[in-house]
Amino acid sequence: MSRRPFLAAALALLAFLGCNMPETHVRRSSLMDYLYPKEKAAPMPNPAGARLKLPLKLGVAFVPGGTASWRVQNLMAPGQEKQLLDVVKRSFQDRPWISEIKLVPGAYLRPGGGFENMDQVARMYGVDVMALVSVDQVQNTDPRWYSFTYLSIVGAYVLPGDANDTNTLIDAAVYDVASHTFLLRAPGQSQVKGSSTWAYREKQLREHSAKGLELAMTDLAKNLDAEMGAFNAEVARGERKDVDVVDRQGVSLRQSGGRNFGGSFGWIEALGALALLGLALRFRRG
Amino acid sequence: MDTLALTAEALREPWRLWTGHLVHFGWEHALANAVALAVPWILAAPRNRRRLALAMLVLPPLVSLLLLPSLGGGEYRGASGLACALWALAGLRLAGQQGSTPVGLLMLGGLGLKLGAEAAFGGSFLLHPDGWQTLTAAHRWGVLLGLASALPPWPRPHPA
Repeated sequence: MSRRPFLAAALALLAFLGCNMPETHVRRSSLMDYLYPKEKAAPMPNPAGARLKLPLKLGVAFVPGGTASWRVQNLMAPGQEKQLLDVVKRSFQDRPWISEIKLVPGAYLRPGGGFENMDQVARMYGVDVMALVSVDQVQNTDPRWYSFTYLSIVGAYVLPGDANDTNTLIDAAVYDVASHTFLLRAPGQSQVKGSSTWAYREKQLREHSAKGLELAMTDLAKNLDAEMGAFNAEVARGERKDVDVVDRQGVSLRQSGGRNFGGSFGWIEALGALALLGLALRFRRG
Repeated sequence: MDTLALTAEALREPWRLWTGHLVHFGWEHALANAVALAVPWILAAPRNRRRLALAMLVLPPLVSLLLLPSLGGGEYRGASGLACALWALAGLRLAGQQGSTPVGLLMLGGLGLKLGAEAAFGGSFLLHPDGWQTLTAAHRWGVLLGLASALPPWPRPHPA
């Protein structure tokens, strides 16, 4: 009795199972692995605390994932890293408390580099605080009931039998470079759903990965702005004993309670005053 | 902390009572206040300029002392309290002079409009991106002191 039919049936079953098994792709970079690679206990920050002088120079970088940077791991398309960091840059460029935002390429951050590496990069870019961005992206592919049609080969190219979900969580932790004090964190998340054929599954997953990162980054920029406001309020109320913020005039936020007052004529009022002056002078000449 | 801005330290560092009205939160803030200060100087009659000069010397510490309770731990910068005082002073004097009454009334009307808008909308109807807020009490005290200093120091005897 020939074994060929059995072999063919086994191969077909294998192919069927291969096409129809749920799959999960995980892309992850960890802030803890980067900053505290060997430490059993986290190193103590400077006991003097952080003294931030406004306006701040902010550096933004993706922390490396695993044993290599994001780009080296080929988890981000060339140019995508800058594009993503630009989302944060655009959101913060008109904030009065930030003078400059530097986008630090992830390739400059060594896996497990710790604070030593962060200091090197911060010195290189001349920034006061670093926002370290870590990413956790999970992509699930679940076969639909009609995915068995992939066995017909034509079905694998025509019928969208894969349900693809991409969940992205981005976390930005902001550190004071001089004192290594943790200042604040903000999350950003997104969910992208779609369907694809078996043949275009990988392409769609790559597209969804990029889209998910972009959406999560936009969410992060929004949350980071809100967290920064809350952080300032905490410092002003004296709830953050380890941090003080000094404004452009050298006034400590902790001392002033965040309340600086000015006596002012607005531009509308000043223009009104000039109009009145012109009118009065004309009236006098008349 | 800045050594010239008006803060609670002014009780130990009295120069702050004057200098708080000279320092500002930026050139835009300073320029708008300078324009507001220049208008009463230009419009005032020459004989009233001496009174304006005296007011610029005497009124700043009075406004400052009246503002101290509102400051808490914060600081105050800006000449608009003083500008309001000069507008009230010059406006009232001009309103009482023949030929200048409309100008004086216009100045007082403008001042009333500003105080009315601030009372209705708070100081926040004009936003300051540098993170400070308008202290409207400075304008109110300035107007009151300006009106008071426009009055003659003693009643003039009527000619027989």
